Amino acid sequence: MSEHGVPEGAVSREDIARLAVLFDRFEYAFEPLSIDAKEAESQFEDLVLLLYNERVKERFASVTFSAFRCKIRSLCREHLRKNPL
Amino acid sequence: MKTCVSFEDLIQIHRPQIEEMQRVGESFSHPDSPDACQSFTHQVRMVEGTLRQTYREASALARRTEDLREVSDIWSRMSSFCNFALQALASLKDKYSNCGTAELYDLALDFKLACDKRYRGVVEEIACQSMEFPKGLFPEKT
Repeated sequence: MSEHGVPEGAVSREDIARLAVLFDRFEYAFEPLSIDAKEAESQFEDLVLLLYNERVKERFASVTFSAFRCKIRSLCREHLRKNPL
Repeated sequence: MKTCVSFEDLIQIHRPQIEEMQRVGESFSHPDSPDACQSFTHQVRMVEGTLRQTYREASALARRTEDLREVSDIWSRMSSFCNFALQALASLKDKYSNCGTAELYDLALDFKLACDKRYRGVVEEIACQSMEFPKGLFPEKT
């Protein structure tokens, strides 16, 4: 449970914020082929896979990795719009 | 009254730069002459700048747009813009082989592939918007 009483999930707001920073660096990179963008994308994908394997795969077996990753991306977009870096 | 400029407006503003490059490229019958290469190299640099600038605009607008369908439209239009540059360059790449043309072609192709990747990602996200996810997986909305 967060400080304000709004339930967190298996994937927390802090996780989303962390992923959103990485997402921003590659999805909206002005230089999409830059080393920074590629590194950010690689770290993002690794973190999404880690979260899925550790917190989702067994507990929420009906959720496929593809769907999870898709939702994460949407949440990152939403987070970035609401919290400009 | 506030003036609103859409991404399509920006594309239409930038498009003539590619058309100008094509016009200059086709105007020289002797591409090996110093004048021809100098003029065309200048056009290549201008189009490179235009491509980079337009991509930045696409990226900035995609970032602030709430509607995923608008985001997909931005990347689709940017991809088409890159394709327009590629078509212009395809016919000039061999004619002006020493004027930076091949490098610009590669840049336009790289940008197009980046746009297409982002477009596919957004289309997937649009599809998964209708999916139900179990309670307790993601933070509840505030």
